[in-house]
Amino acid sequence: MSEREERARVDGMLQEALRARLSRRSVLRGAGVGAAGLSLSSLLAACGGGGPGGEDGEGKPNPSEIFGQEPGPVVNFANWPLYLDQAKDKEGNVYYPSLKLFTKKTGIEVNYETVIQSNEEFFGKIQPQLAAGDPTGWDIIVITNGRQFNILKANGWVYELDPTRRPNFEANATPFARDPAYDPGNKVSMPWQGGFTGIWYDVNKTNGPITKLDDLANPDKVGRNSVGMLTADMPDFVMINLGIDPATSGPEEWKEAAKWLMMQRESGTVRQYYDQGYVDDMTAGNLTAGMGWSGDVVYYKLWAGYSNLEFVVPQPGEGGLLLWQDNMMVPVGAENPAGALMVMDWYYQPKIAAMVTEWVLYLSPCKGVREVILKDAEQALEDGYKGYANKLYQTAEAEVAFPSDETLNLAKFGTNITTDEQAQEWDAIFLPISQQ
Amino acid sequence: MATGTEERVSAAPARRGAYARHRRTVPYWLTAPAGLYLLVFLVLPMVILVYTSLQSGGLFGGLRFSWAWENYTDGILQYKTQFLRSIVISGIVTVACLLLAYPMTYWIAFYGQRWKSSILLLILVPFFVSFVIRTVQWRFMLGDNGLIFGPLKSLGLLPQGFRVLATPFAVVAGITYNYLPFTALPLYVALERIDKSLVEAAKDLYASKWQAFRRVVWPLSLPGVFAAFLLTFVPATGDYVNAAVLGGPGTRMIGNIIQETFLHSVNYPLAAALSVVLMVAMLILASIYARVLGTEDETLTAAI
Repeated sequence: MSEREERARVDGMLQEALRARLSRRSVLRGAGVGAAGLSLSSLLAACGGGGPGGEDGEGKPNPSEIFGQEPGPVVNFANWPLYLDQAKDKEGNVYYPSLKLFTKKTGIEVNYETVIQSNEEFFGKIQPQLAAGDPTGWDIIVITNGRQFNILKANGWVYELDPTRRPNFEANATPFARDPAYDPGNKVSMPWQGGFTGIWYDVNKTNGPITKLDDLANPDKVGRNSVGMLTADMPDFVMINLGIDPATSGPEEWKEAAKWLMMQRESGTVRQYYDQGYVDDMTAGNLTAGMGWSGDVVYYKLWAGYSNLEFVVPQPGEGGLLLWQDNMMVPVGAENPAGALMVMDWYYQPKIAAMVTEWVLYLSPCKGVREVILKDAEQALEDGYKGYANKLYQTAEAEVAFPSDETLNLAKFGTNITTDEQAQEWDAIFLPISQQ
Repeated sequence: MATGTEERVSAAPARRGAYARHRRTVPYWLTAPAGLYLLVFLVLPMVILVYTSLQSGGLFGGLRFSWAWENYTDGILQYKTQFLRSIVISGIVTVACLLLAYPMTYWIAFYGQRWKSSILLLILVPFFVSFVIRTVQWRFMLGDNGLIFGPLKSLGLLPQGFRVLATPFAVVAGITYNYLPFTALPLYVALERIDKSLVEAAKDLYASKWQAFRRVVWPLSLPGVFAAFLLTFVPATGDYVNAAVLGGPGTRMIGNIIQETFLHSVNYPLAAALSVVLMVAMLILASIYARVLGTEDETLTAAI
């Protein structure tokens, strides 16, 4: 196999694609459009299926039976935009190298579509179908750990996976991807990619380096009206930085975090509470600092030339990071669950996972990716792609893409909300901060 | 032969009789498609919306219908600020739109001559671009160091900390911009219909330009103003794109709250209740407005 040739071509295409690339989490330009167009229609749609969601009535389907079937010819894979390695063939058609290898190996086609712009919106679209017991049309969906994830799980709207049919996962999953608190034993989900929510700042705009949460509420350090906060992530992020583990938090701790957030709002430093799409303001220089997602900041800093951006990896005792993962799941009614699980497990081979990581720069749930990237860098250097090799080296060295154990120890998952009462209490405490 | 004519004569009334018998119902049959359309796409969703708004529980434990009126009371109590804010913002926007659109359409209707439709088209051109894209491009134009303020700041004409984005002003300006065509079109139709010779007649009777406008043009254009107000005010109140894209802390409108309650909190009953409240509030405001200011003979439909 002319791997070298393929490599060189992919490399060229990669560079080209990257130049036009937005980050997976910051596609407000697209997401806003989607949200605006969709929320009304999904509002109407969802109301139609408002039947009793909670009952998982007729006994759970047996995983080994569902995943033991003969895999079908096509897997329908719904994912986020710009979340998979891409390349162009000679005719200029975009294809996904890592999926192409899968098809070559198994003969199963993958219909990969980037239809998920946000968890909320995608959930709003498929919820009525799931509640009515209709198939969603997807075999794999990717949802971040959080409320939507938990609702899918609690209602039995996703299949329990068969642990005997994911050998790569069992062998290669990283410790944080394995057995997470939101899905013990990875019963219904396997992480696709993960990342950290942390503090970023613009070294040219702040008054000295930003090192801890309190700096974001200090107008002398960050200025007035110039901090961007992430609405959904900020409660957990603040808790973690106040020394509270969200896993053991309750309303008392939530109120403490809300108090800090209210104090920050009154300090006058906040410019906007973002759902996503903070990247535009970050790169346009409208913000001095704020909360951000690790992959975004790494990408803009290392690959897009914004060397003035800095992602804060806190010193132990100075703060922490919020860890999240986007998880592959198989929705109930999927036509090809067996094929789906094969695709999911495919991405737990270091070589394949590295292809994705080199492109998306987030946290890989698969072990051994860093070694592959270093090897690729050597190879690129040998082939004479010096700039590309350098970027690969820098990526491999990036603390937030390949965190050390110390950094991982500072990172915690967010609060796991599993009942309606919790959800309402949480909303009552935190929503007023951004909504008032 | 006599019998033949008789037969023919008697057959005609019979046919006429059949028509007469159905005469009353024919118009209803003709409106049936429209009625069906309204039933499926207006009444039914409304019923579902109200039904949802009276459910309790959540998606974890399941939704149950339970006449949960507290969704309404809680919703209103919790979000009265945002309801009020939306109405105030929308009011300012509507007035601004009218102030901008009236002189513009007046000029087109009275002085546009053969360019009338081309100029009107220019007002509509932004409509060819998606609503959200139009709003997002304001971010580029109004960025703190963007196209407009960047140069002004470097020339020292504006202080360094000056900004428009993430302020209530940006939200008002954005909605005004986006809804201007809704104001301009009904105004234009009303002004265009005015017989220009009436103005001449007024002048012949020694009316000044201003008097001619105040006593002739303005009263005749009122139905257009009325329609323009409603067509701008009602959708602007529910707008959420501008507040989300151009706003900052303290500018969330009720549209944003409904969106967040529905999508982020996944609290479908509360979101539905808030939607119903917004709709009913708009209906009440609009009918009060129609009562107080509406002209009697010229209706909304006539103006459009």
